[in-house]
Amino acid sequence: MRITNKMITTQYTRSLNRLAAELNRLNNQVSSGRKFAKASENTSAAVKAFQLRKDMSRIEGYRENIAHAKSTLTNAESALMHIEELMRTATEKIITGLNDTQSREERAIIATELRSLQAQLLQTLNSTASDSYYFGGTNTETKPFEVIDGKLYYNGYDLDLPLPASTPEENEAKLKELASDTLYIDIGLSVKFDPATGEIDEGTVFGYSIAGINVVGSGTTTVEGEEVSNNIYNLLGALAAEFESENYSHAKADALFGHLKDASQGIMRTITEIGAKTSYLDFMAERLEDQDFNLQERQVDVEGIDPAEAIINFEAQKFAYNAALQMGARIIQPSIFDFMR
Amino acid sequence: MRPTFLAFHTASRALAASQANMDVTGNNIANVNTKGYTRQRVDLSSISSGGYTQKYAVPTADVGLGVDVSRISQIRDPFLDARYRDQASENGKFETILAGLTDLENIFDEISTEGLLHEISKFVNSLQSLAQTPSAGDIAQVVRTAAQKVTQIMNVYAKQINQVRSQQVFDLSQVVINNDFNTKIKNIADLNAQIRQEQTYGNVPNELLDKRNLLIDELAELANIKVTSHPEKISEDLTVERLTISLYDPATGASIGLVDGELYNTLHVKDDGERISIQIATSFGPHGGADITNHFTSGSIKGYIDLINGHGINEFRGVPYYRNSMDILASNFARVLNELNTIDPDNPKPLFSSADGGPITAENIRISQQWLDDPAFITTTIYDANAGDNILRMISAIDSEIVFYRDATDDTSEVMFRGSLDEFLAGLMGEVALDVELYRNYADTSVNVLSNLFNAREAISGVNLDEEGINLMAFQKSYNAAARYFTALDEAVDTIINRMGIVGR
Repeated sequence: MRITNKMITTQYTRSLNRLAAELNRLNNQVSSGRKFAKASENTSAAVKAFQLRKDMSRIEGYRENIAHAKSTLTNAESALMHIEELMRTATEKIITGLNDTQSREERAIIATELRSLQAQLLQTLNSTASDSYYFGGTNTETKPFEVIDGKLYYNGYDLDLPLPASTPEENEAKLKELASDTLYIDIGLSVKFDPATGEIDEGTVFGYSIAGINVVGSGTTTVEGEEVSNNIYNLLGALAAEFESENYSHAKADALFGHLKDASQGIMRTITEIGAKTSYLDFMAERLEDQDFNLQERQVDVEGIDPAEAIINFEAQKFAYNAALQMGARIIQPSIFDFMR
Repeated sequence: MRPTFLAFHTASRALAASQANMDVTGNNIANVNTKGYTRQRVDLSSISSGGYTQKYAVPTADVGLGVDVSRISQIRDPFLDARYRDQASENGKFETILAGLTDLENIFDEISTEGLLHEISKFVNSLQSLAQTPSAGDIAQVVRTAAQKVTQIMNVYAKQINQVRSQQVFDLSQVVINNDFNTKIKNIADLNAQIRQEQTYGNVPNELLDKRNLLIDELAELANIKVTSHPEKISEDLTVERLTISLYDPATGASIGLVDGELYNTLHVKDDGERISIQIATSFGPHGGADITNHFTSGSIKGYIDLINGHGINEFRGVPYYRNSMDILASNFARVLNELNTIDPDNPKPLFSSADGGPITAENIRISQQWLDDPAFITTTIYDANAGDNILRMISAIDSEIVFYRDATDDTSEVMFRGSLDEFLAGLMGEVALDVELYRNYADTSVNVLSNLFNAREAISGVNLDEEGINLMAFQKSYNAAARYFTALDEAVDTIINRMGIVGR
């Protein structure tokens, strides 16, 4: 085959160009730390990378959700601790009051103290964190607890009485609904819904709000032949009233006190529940952190380069490029004309 | 009897032959880097003595009468030309498609930037925040802003896809009308006329042939052409070649004449906004005004046609495919979220609408006026409470399988894809990236084949300086030899005339 000058120069230009392109690619790899700058350079890795980025972004969302839920729960827990302490103080006062040696005036003082504790209880139940009430169930906007005519209302419902114009069954159902009313967040358990009713599948989400109704108690019980409230606020009120009463009955006060002790179980129950929830969140947070770490590692695998390898490749390519340049300078120059006399 | 001055002519012809060879060598050297130049050669033939001795029927030993410069010819292989042009045609198509696809890829590719996938993820995370505190007005506003960004990026994608289209249409018009194709066709026809004239006079217009071949090579990059030449009889003893070029589809055998001798057709590009077509504008044949779009099977014109018209169903995935896909993405995204935001079907509460009131497309999708007026327009719960269950429904919908209908408003229309939004988008990016990868491979391969063919052609037609240098030396020597021969003859005649018969003087 004849080899002409144009063949040599064209071929040479082309291979130089190819070498330079490869050199440029490796240079980009080294300087950006990425295996590829465009999806088309490595399509399967790029599609994987998109998936990984999405997963990481979702995990970021879940972790934020968990952090939010945890801070709400911690706030609620400390509020409940405070309530518990209030109740302990109340118990001491009541025990003092129940002592038969107390005069009526002294009982009246204890009643006043109990009322002040009642006010503190109400305030604590209505505590907020960043403008949202955390004992209101899904209601975070308005004060969940209100006192109207000395009686405690939760989200507008009298905790003792049947709701107006409703049967006792309906009333009970409503109270139950209030007790299970909660805010759900997505913590990465792939949220599912009942396809027929559209109801959320509670196993796939995390309910983090606390229904205050479960803390204070609801409904009424018959004590000593009298209908008494099941909620601690009203019970404290009833005790205070009894202590103030002109015809004070030790038996009745004692019965109320017994009932109050039963009713305040709700506080401890809720604290325990919060503890369980918090430790579950901690577990999930740890799992997500692990997942995130794994994803990051995989992302580096998929998108990142091994710097040492990249630099070695780059140097090797540079060597090839230099060699080609040197060769070219020698091949192109001479022809027979250089040697003709 | 040998005429006295017979050999003088032999000597002079030898001088002329060497001279001609040196001239051609010089021409070759001068054109060593001329694009399209074909190496030339002097065709020499030896002259026989022509049988003058037979007149007297005295048989003598015949001596030839030297050399004749019959013509200066080109060294070229028409078979390689045809193969080279076929390959150039393929190559033109692949390179054009690759360039167009790379533009498209740049729109979708978010490997090193933040695009639609990123914005959708941010939208989801803002929804997560809203699910935490469904009643928070400021977070509802953040969600709206995130949704707005999603729609804006969709608008940008749609706009950029349209820009790619107009760029391709512009390039195609440039290639067909304003400079390349029509001009080349016309130039070739002009050259045909000139070459015919020269050949009629008996000349060999090598330089014109080179020019024409170069133009045909360039034309082959644009379209699938077939070059044929037919003998045309000028007179009893003169036949010249008549060159015709046609648009030839080897699959169907259909062919449309483009050039016939000095006649030519010009083309015209017609764009109706959806489809582009190529028509014959002025014509010598029966095809005037005909739509010949489908006759292009390779060449960069075919590349442009594929990019501009390829809707991706059983054919190339071009601009319309990606535009439709984005529209399908946008309209189904809007459909799913609008449906979730609506509780009472009689009282629709769309989160997204189109800017012009028509069907939602990627180009016109935007936040609905109601949502713009009130960030809390987003339905957080389907119950009479303050919960965020509906937000969770939206998050779950974005991440779970969505049915992408061809027409989002009609759930009986063709199902284009089943999967999440992210899968749809990542799939789309994967498709364009794979196509780029594929066409890059095609283009690389075809460039390699083309360069092999270039080399094969160059091996026959190219100028080799060493060869020319050797020829130069050889013909210089033969010139010197001829001149010396002349001197020898001259001395012989001088001997006869001036020195013969003067014995003893």
